[in-house]
Amino acid sequence: MNAILTRTPTEESLGVALPHRRMEEWKWTDLRRLLDKPYGQAANTAAPKDVERLLKLATVHGVNTRRIVFVNGQLQVGSKLLDTAARNTIEGSDPLVVMGNALGGQGVDLCLSGNVDTPIEIIHIATKGETRAIGYRHRVTVEAGASATLIETFIGEGEYLSNSLVEISLGDGATLDRIKVEQEAPASTHLAHTAFTLGAKAILRDFTLTSCAKLVRHNGTCTFNGEYAEAHISGSYLLKGRQHGDTRLIVDHAVPHCTSRELFKVVMDDHARGIFQGKVIVRPHAQKTDGKQSSHALLLSETAEFDAKPELEIYADDVVCGHGATSGDLNHDYLFYLISRGVPKAEARAMLVAAFVGEAIETVQHEKLREALLTFAASRLAE
Amino acid sequence: MLSIQNLHVKLEDEPREILKGLTLDVKPGEVHAIMGPNGSGKSTLSYVLSGREGYEVTDGSVTFKGEDLLALEPDQRAAKGVFLAFQYPIEIPGVATMQFLRVALNAQRKARGEKELSVPEIMRLVKDKAAKLNVSAEMLKRPVNVGFSGGEKKRAEILQMAVLEPSLCVLDETDSGLDIDALRVVADGVNALRSPDRAMVVITHYQRLLDYIVPDFVHVLSDGRIVKSGGKDLAHDLEANGYAAYVEKAA
Repeated sequence: MNAILTRTPTEESLGVALPHRRMEEWKWTDLRRLLDKPYGQAANTAAPKDVERLLKLATVHGVNTRRIVFVNGQLQVGSKLLDTAARNTIEGSDPLVVMGNALGGQGVDLCLSGNVDTPIEIIHIATKGETRAIGYRHRVTVEAGASATLIETFIGEGEYLSNSLVEISLGDGATLDRIKVEQEAPASTHLAHTAFTLGAKAILRDFTLTSCAKLVRHNGTCTFNGEYAEAHISGSYLLKGRQHGDTRLIVDHAVPHCTSRELFKVVMDDHARGIFQGKVIVRPHAQKTDGKQSSHALLLSETAEFDAKPELEIYADDVVCGHGATSGDLNHDYLFYLISRGVPKAEARAMLVAAFVGEAIETVQHEKLREALLTFAASRLAE
Repeated sequence: MLSIQNLHVKLEDEPREILKGLTLDVKPGEVHAIMGPNGSGKSTLSYVLSGREGYEVTDGSVTFKGEDLLALEPDQRAAKGVFLAFQYPIEIPGVATMQFLRVALNAQRKARGEKELSVPEIMRLVKDKAAKLNVSAEMLKRPVNVGFSGGEKKRAEILQMAVLEPSLCVLDETDSGLDIDALRVVADGVNALRSPDRAMVVITHYQRLLDYIVPDFVHVLSDGRIVKSGGKDLAHDLEANGYAAYVEKAA
């Protein structure tokens, strides 16, 4: 069907066909329609003072991290962790992977061993300039037995599209805490594809904040390759105005005895639209799989919309799997209780909304990061 | 302190009247018990005083410290000194009890034009009062009422009352769901708060609570009206003879 569609100006500029609503996984996020202008690919020159200013806006600015900074797609020299950017080719046929490879962006190729105490932060900055597409292609390997915390921050101003492809593999017994903070510009589009593979007894804790871009689509895959591994994947969306946030996550239990937990808390106001599509696959040999998925939305206006599509594909018979999705407005009993104790209505609402998204943010283990995220969420919601 | 005159109340979306001309005067330092059978309007009275949505006052007035109470928002009523101890305290996931007490106390102080207290000041104040009510530090860290037993929830209500120091305490069926030991702890907490400046309205179905919180006045509420008032002995009379005599009289 793609072949008969005339390429749109956006498709011409990116050199790829965009996914559209007649494709099941893209029915709520029709990129072909939503992206309606050509994107240049020339790197933008950034003034150092703009970069400094944007760096300070990062949610985790006050937390001690080892930083790798990309500005408008280019690695900033001077990072102690990395002196040259990698140009990884990411495998896969996902439309976002195809787009990212076509953009040919830079990235990191990191191999982490031992216990890496200080979090590693990759900051992606976009400065004001021509409407353009910026691609990133990262590969991170956490070696067997190693542990690390990885933060990805996206921040910018102006009108642009980011495409971030990330491949993360955890060796046997490795532990990774990954925190992704999407703080892109209000007029921007953020597209990402993240692929995790987990070795035996590996532990992944992943948290993604979706908060600022006009249009966000996260595609994620998590594949268990070794037994007794755990993946805890969570996220919060804070959307308002006409923001659109969509997550498509596929957790693939390819081997027995693994545990997966997904928890997404979505807050939406005005005309915002949130989508969570989560699929859990349990392969025929993957007995004793324990998989749970839940997505909960809080709708602060009558015009906000949440769509959830949980899917379980279970081919093994001795497993515990479940999913749950809810959506609703603020609980009036909670609200009255707080107000009856003297808390003004606006403050009571803010407390309850912060408590709602807080449940997902609380999964972040690093105390300072967790606090920074809670503070950011509270201030973003109060805007 | 509190003057309720000829109060008529109905549910917003139902024509049926629940309170049908209730009149009650409460002076500082007094403890009034309101007793009545199920459906007599006891809980409605507590909700109307605290300002819950969903009720419509069709006639009458409620004056608190000389001011029209019904014109105030629930948070303003709280800042002026009205406190409702809920029959079924609400569980609020994600809001820690200590944080809730701090926000509520400072919101009230701010509304009254008083200086807000610092976090350490409030922690000290709360811990001191919590110890007396057998509320553990662990409970203060947990989300408001979440996972608390029936007795813990009621103790937490009384702790809120002790911290917020209201001038009018309305206790809605505080004895429901409590065994005798829990009841004693709660009643001791309430009695410790009795003072010449503070009034209490104790709403209850059973006389049992009034053995521990001894009222100055007892009123029988039936079909939305007070049909009999008396001293504390009236409660014993009700326990012995039941509500039937009064309910029939009202009809």
